[in-house]
Amino acid sequence: MSDLKTELKTMIIERLKLEGMTPDQIDDKAPLFGEGLGLDSIDALELVLGIEQHFGVKIEDEAAGLQAFKNVESLTAFIAEHRTA
Amino acid sequence: MNGEAITAQIPHRYPFLLVDRLLEREPGVRVVAEKLLTINEPYFQGHFAERPLLPGVLMLEMLAQAGGFLESEPLLGKPIFLAQVLDARFKGAAFPGDKLRLEVSPDASFGGLMRIKGIVSCDGRVLCTAKLLLKNSVGPKGSA
Repeated sequence: MSDLKTELKTMIIERLKLEGMTPDQIDDKAPLFGEGLGLDSIDALELVLGIEQHFGVKIEDEAAGLQAFKNVESLTAFIAEHRTA
Repeated sequence: MNGEAITAQIPHRYPFLLVDRLLEREPGVRVVAEKLLTINEPYFQGHFAERPLLPGVLMLEMLAQAGGFLESEPLLGKPIFLAQVLDARFKGAAFPGDKLRLEVSPDASFGGLMRIKGIVSCDGRVLCTAKLLLKNSVGPKGSA
């Protein structure tokens, strides 16, 4: 699980070009959007595509997706649950 | 499809309606539209006085407007805007008298945002390619 978390954080940093950030600077429980990491809805679409390409997990249900996007912890759990490999 | 069918779908009006005719429309899949440029376009007055040519950014706007026809529901009165421009390339210029072909298809969507791929061409020559992010409704709560 913690490996998946680091992998997810690395993907977020690379995909969203959060230059100068390292995985350990992202708090597992800090909100991804608004305060916290400060992502916006444009980043959300990028993240959906990144999760699909990197982890093979499609987020088709937007409500479930938005729930999962709460923080790194919830997103890691979502990916772990829906990942087939 | 033209005239009233166009103004029934998107809110743009003179002098900024940049879609004249729809050749193909399959919401959510693909739209092919046309924009005919005449010497009377307001922007040709100053871009440029001695050599009128279409400002490149207007090709992006044309693609964005054509993208409005990918939505199945009319966009009149809805809070729509252009949210991002990606990988825009201007490969050729357009001049008065040109008939521009606007082709758009969706690339991805989430949370009220739709990313589209677009091509502007004239007589088979590609003038512009770009990806655009269009916002068509209220997105995730608490986000910009």
